[in-house]
Amino acid sequence: MRRLLTLAAGLAVLAVSACSAPAAPRSDAPPAEPPDPATLPAPTGAHPVGTTTLHLTDTSRPDPWDLDADIRELKVTLWYPTGRRGGKRAPYMTPREAELLLKGSGIATTPYDTLSRTRTNAVEDAAPEGKGLALVVLSPGFTKPVSTLTSLAEDLASRGYVVAGIDHTHESYATTLSDGRVAECLACDSDTDPGSHAALVQGRAADVSFVLDRLTSARNRPGLIDRTRIAMVGQSIGGASAVAAMLKDSRVRAGIDMDGTTYARVPESGLSRPFMFLGSRNHVPGGPDTSWDRDWKRLTGWKRWLVLTDAEHQSFTDIPLVADVLGIEPLPGMLPAARGAELTRTYVAAFLDRHLRSRRRPLLDGPSPRYPEVTFCPAACGRS
Amino acid sequence: MTAARAAAAAGLALLLATACTAPAPPRSQASTAAGTACARPQGPPAAEKPTTIDVVEQAYFCILGAYYSGATLDARSLLTAGFVALTRELNRNGRDLPDATMPALTGDREADWTAFEAVYRKITDQVPDLRDRLADVTLQAVVAALGDNHARWAHDVQRHPDLHDGDAYGLGFQANVNGLQMDANPGAALPPLFVTAVQGGAARAAGLRPGDLIEGIDGSAPFVDGQATPAIAGLYPEYPEARPVKLRLLRQSTGRRWTATLQPGLFPRDPAGLRVVRSKLVDDDIAYVQMAQFSPDSANRVLRAITRLRTGRTLSGVVLDLRGNGGGSPVEAARLVSAFVHGKPTAYQCAVDGRCQTMWTDDTVELVGLPLVVLTDRGCASACEHFSSAIKDLRAGLLVGTRTAGAVSGPASPYLLGDNTVLSFPTRHHRGPHREVIDRIGVPPDHHIPLTPKDAAAGRDLALAKALTLLRT
Repeated sequence: MRRLLTLAAGLAVLAVSACSAPAAPRSDAPPAEPPDPATLPAPTGAHPVGTTTLHLTDTSRPDPWDLDADIRELKVTLWYPTGRRGGKRAPYMTPREAELLLKGSGIATTPYDTLSRTRTNAVEDAAPEGKGLALVVLSPGFTKPVSTLTSLAEDLASRGYVVAGIDHTHESYATTLSDGRVAECLACDSDTDPGSHAALVQGRAADVSFVLDRLTSARNRPGLIDRTRIAMVGQSIGGASAVAAMLKDSRVRAGIDMDGTTYARVPESGLSRPFMFLGSRNHVPGGPDTSWDRDWKRLTGWKRWLVLTDAEHQSFTDIPLVADVLGIEPLPGMLPAARGAELTRTYVAAFLDRHLRSRRRPLLDGPSPRYPEVTFCPAACGRS
Repeated sequence: MTAARAAAAAGLALLLATACTAPAPPRSQASTAAGTACARPQGPPAAEKPTTIDVVEQAYFCILGAYYSGATLDARSLLTAGFVALTRELNRNGRDLPDATMPALTGDREADWTAFEAVYRKITDQVPDLRDRLADVTLQAVVAALGDNHARWAHDVQRHPDLHDGDAYGLGFQANVNGLQMDANPGAALPPLFVTAVQGGAARAAGLRPGDLIEGIDGSAPFVDGQATPAIAGLYPEYPEARPVKLRLLRQSTGRRWTATLQPGLFPRDPAGLRVVRSKLVDDDIAYVQMAQFSPDSANRVLRAITRLRTGRTLSGVVLDLRGNGGGSPVEAARLVSAFVHGKPTAYQCAVDGRCQTMWTDDTVELVGLPLVVLTDRGCASACEHFSSAIKDLRAGLLVGTRTAGAVSGPASPYLLGDNTVLSFPTRHHRGPHREVIDRIGVPPDHHIPLTPKDAAAGRDLALAKALTLLRT
């Protein structure tokens, strides 16, 4: 179960668990009182944050995983600036989603609702405030709901972005659909097939285009989103999907891949829009994953390749923030969970500010004494 | 070995797949057998280092400690094979040496190694520039001397820098004699040689089609007096081999004879065709399920596909197409057998002294309860033969097609060597449900329906047609 943190590649978790018996639940008696849930760090921007959930149905294509579904249903979570400071905080996820996620990941140490009761900062269904805001699409790692990127999403919304987090149905252990059904991970079936990751990022790119169609259509929240300022950020296969989405859809002007091995085929003519690789030490040039080396050469526009020392695959997600109360021990030597969240928020926001809001962000120009964990590759980092 | 070959594109997957091919032996066995010489890899190996004589030594004792017949085999045969390769390589490089002679061996494994190593060092000290190459060929020959199709030393594995998930490297087609068969069982190959599938790349660009006869490969005949020649292996170059391959071709339908020069390269494959489990309903009453590998969870995937196809209708039977299935996990093979028969052994895993572990059906798997026909061919190898032999021996279904590959010596276990390369071999050998040897022999089908070039050209599948007939009578 500690593989959630120990393994570099999220996808490897699955491959391993598929070959080995699921970890047995701990035999020690559960604590008398359920542990207090975790609290996500407060957003750092000026605005209070609201959130709401949309259920969108794409009738133009069949579901890529459910062979009996001739439509694609998607759940999209929006985070955005709001004028409302008080109000009910949105739930982190449903108890059922938490149960399926933890069971699927082989974690059975605490009551499942310890995860779903994680305290968030966004006010549920608060009215959005602002006009012409830049839009950031968020895409999570394989098997994970987009809730696992809530800390980043809330922070970006507090800085004035509209964030659209996509739950790619059947690619996560749990997605609650509009009628209350909970879709499970059908894509997990074929995850080890050759070509499956390439197909998966193509499917996510199609999901993104459809979501952009809906969010930028005149009927929806007129004026809230500036359709000329859109970026995509993802972790793991979600980051790989940012490359695929940018290649498919020119509305996505900039992208960040957080520690995801890439799969989309960048044409020889290159991808000229701004792109940033933000990785852990497994994603250094010449390291165990070769996909960034391969694609770096074909990124022809503004680009950065940043590696966080002492980060691991989940450092860019909420997982380390909630790990403690779930009884998952951190890897020795990894940076503290709060620091991982801070670095992720800081550098992602700097990139988006620079490319969607044309603000100067010297942080991206080179090493900073305030963030010594960040190395600028390939020039300043070698194989560790 | 075969599963690993298919997964070679993904470095990490390679290891995981290999790790899945054999159930871990009981701890006591592993520690006494191989613990001193070599250990199981923990996670993906670090960067490879040059192979040295110390690595050859480690592999030698690893084999003697853990290989199926390691306890009883004559270790002198391994050292002799190594020395043969070593001296050939010296000679090939024009660097033969007067004192490159085999030391006398006594049958004492440790003393013989010491004698071998002393001569080896004396030789390589005189040709330091050949040192790495000589260690490579020596270790390669020691492993090959086992004559075991599941013994393999994976080293110097190179990835094409532009490789993407799902890509393949090669000429872009498959012939009726495939790469696996040339590796494991070339003696079983039958003429004529012809194209069975065009996948992409150079073959597609050159207009090759299924059914085209290959009469010559770089000027050599694929068969001489009915025996396959090594020229056939030239159809399956591996990266970084990039020499163009010249084919002499005949299209029987038109009588056209021509030559085509194919440049090996990287090419994308159709993602839909790469799914390990694919299924469809045939004539509204037969579930047709194609399974390309016994990869993790694949048995459950097959069973879910059948469940889905029978929802809301009554089926007459199941066709399981295992043609070209290169094997994978014996656990998956046993699990899938268990959906068609309960309470029986699916296979035995036997030590050299004849003691065997029984691989029983898993009777918690629900029986499908439908007649089964399995399509097999020479590409059905390893775990695929485990499955096919069990279905046939236990009378749980019929086999249609051609004899299986005969590449099922036993599930391979991986061992990490000091240069971060992986040596893998079986610790036990496979026997069928009647305790029969299947390796090198294969499983004969109940109904022999070979693929002909004419049927391949016309897209006719007579084996499937036979299967449908059997299920309806």
